[in-house]
Amino acid sequence: MLYPEIVIAGCGNPLFADDGFGPAVVEELQKLTLPDNVKVVDAGLGGPHFVFTLLDPDVTKKLVIVDIADFGAEPGSITKLRVEDLPPGSYRDAHSWDLTEPLHRIKDQVEITVIGCQPKLVTDPDMEIGLSDEVLNAIPKTVRIVLETIGVDYGTTIKCL
Amino acid sequence: MSKVVEISPTTRHEGHSKLVLKVNDAGIIETGNWCSITPVRGVERLAVGKSMEQVPKIASRVCGICPIAHTLAGIESMEASIKCEIPRDAHLLRVILQCANRLHSHALHNILTLPDMYLPGTDMKINPFSPEEPVRRVAKRLQRIREIGQTIGEIAGGEAIHPSNPRVGGMYKACSPRAKTKMYDLAKEGLVLAHAQMEFMIAILRNYQKRDWAEVGGAKIAIPKDLGYHSQGYLATDPVYGSSSLDECPTWDYSRFKESRPWDWYMGEMEVSLEDPKYPVGGTTKMGTKVNPQMEACTGVPCYDGAPVEVGPRARMVKFKNFDEKGTIGQQVARQMEYPDCLTAMISAIDEYNPAAKVVADYIPQGDGSMGWAANEAPRGTDVHLAKVKDGRVQWYSMLVPTTWNFATCSAALTGAPWQLAEVVVRGYDPCVSCATHMIVIDEDNRIVAQKLIQ
Repeated sequence: MLYPEIVIAGCGNPLFADDGFGPAVVEELQKLTLPDNVKVVDAGLGGPHFVFTLLDPDVTKKLVIVDIADFGAEPGSITKLRVEDLPPGSYRDAHSWDLTEPLHRIKDQVEITVIGCQPKLVTDPDMEIGLSDEVLNAIPKTVRIVLETIGVDYGTTIKCL
Repeated sequence: MSKVVEISPTTRHEGHSKLVLKVNDAGIIETGNWCSITPVRGVERLAVGKSMEQVPKIASRVCGICPIAHTLAGIESMEASIKCEIPRDAHLLRVILQCANRLHSHALHNILTLPDMYLPGTDMKINPFSPEEPVRRVAKRLQRIREIGQTIGEIAGGEAIHPSNPRVGGMYKACSPRAKTKMYDLAKEGLVLAHAQMEFMIAILRNYQKRDWAEVGGAKIAIPKDLGYHSQGYLATDPVYGSSSLDECPTWDYSRFKESRPWDWYMGEMEVSLEDPKYPVGGTTKMGTKVNPQMEACTGVPCYDGAPVEVGPRARMVKFKNFDEKGTIGQQVARQMEYPDCLTAMISAIDEYNPAAKVVADYIPQGDGSMGWAANEAPRGTDVHLAKVKDGRVQWYSMLVPTTWNFATCSAALTGAPWQLAEVVVRGYDPCVSCATHMIVIDEDNRIVAQKLIQ
């Protein structure tokens, strides 16, 4: 399926400790049975130059991006951000192609939600594998928030945000 | 008297690199140094002790542009070390994946290189994002080519970006007959577009070659007819896929390879004595700034038969298809000529692929610690991974990625070009700098001498 209606993209590099949060959430989401109109992508490091060729504004209605974001909270805290909230330059893939600009370009055609987790440790440029406990513990909650965002209700009774 | 100019960072390619150029009074480069300034990461050290399944996955995260090449080279270096032969149909799926990767990578490079080129018959540079025709049509075609590449990659490789399907011993899953038909349809559509795109790009490149000048930072710069010429050799292991130490006749030889220290190749400390605030983007480095390429370069210099070599599309064309055009434009033309080749090779592999056949080896040895290597012809050149696996664990791992090969060769190719066009020469190599940045330097006695830089 080239263009699904809903795309969930986990961004980040697992080689820089907590930066692997996005792909880790994707790994959990892929274990679930999701509706056919949903596609979960491990965008890894390729966010800007790969994800956007997988979207067609005529078909894709919703884009959910899962990544780490520094918003000054306790490590492991989760926040939902709008594209307008993203300060230029703070959202970058490992190759410094700014993700904010392409997001701004498509935000009127596709509904974009960014789910950010406060990291504890990002080791860039040194490589280290493994999320910190705080960020690891935030994964189940993030999965619930993603499901809520895309309107999938598996009967959880927990309020997320 | 020579002057020194520095362009930092260079733009419209992947990663962080810079150019330090010693130029004469006319602005012609006497000595050019192109070096990576991406911090050294040390993936090789991280790999030690990990399982042979995990290391290729780690390798695929080194870079966001060529995860497929790194996954395949990583997995095949493990297979070469443990001496595991994979079923024919698993190999075919990998060939399909490889071609899909090359297809969308070349299309991305077109977008990066077009802003240097002119619309034929005009003095107007091409903005690939322009809504005006004829550029719009080309942009849409490029987008479609990338979609086709990524979708086929997703079908054969499991994921569109970081492929999940390849594994040590073959592939996790076979493709269904329906998936095979889908790939076939997409590849046939892609072939038509690829021909059109190749012809368009070659026309644009030939037009640039015929021009006398190019505009850079408001000035008209004469384009030399030998832009980007060098006299280094070429290295390629296969027109499409690659080679490994398991092959009956491997096309790469470990004993002919040696990596030397950057300080033997790059210039020492100097001071910037020429600046141009109008140079895009944001001007060149200010006068009086100290530069020291020897110490700032973050890569070793790999040599094959004792000298740096060029890898990439032209090297493949020279080695296997009698291509003989030198220079930046020759290199770019060779890249465009690979467009249809990606798809014809892909279509043959899809034709041959049997969805009912097995895709995992019956027996996967765990390794005895012997060294194995695999070379993958990534879009931008030969990507060699080397590994030693014992009892399923990686004991030693090294990546020799395409742009590392090209750094010293491209530096040599800068000589004789006006410094304002140095970036045009660099972009001809389609550099991917992040992956290139590894530092394992071995001295004459094969001891690692620069370990501190990776720790």
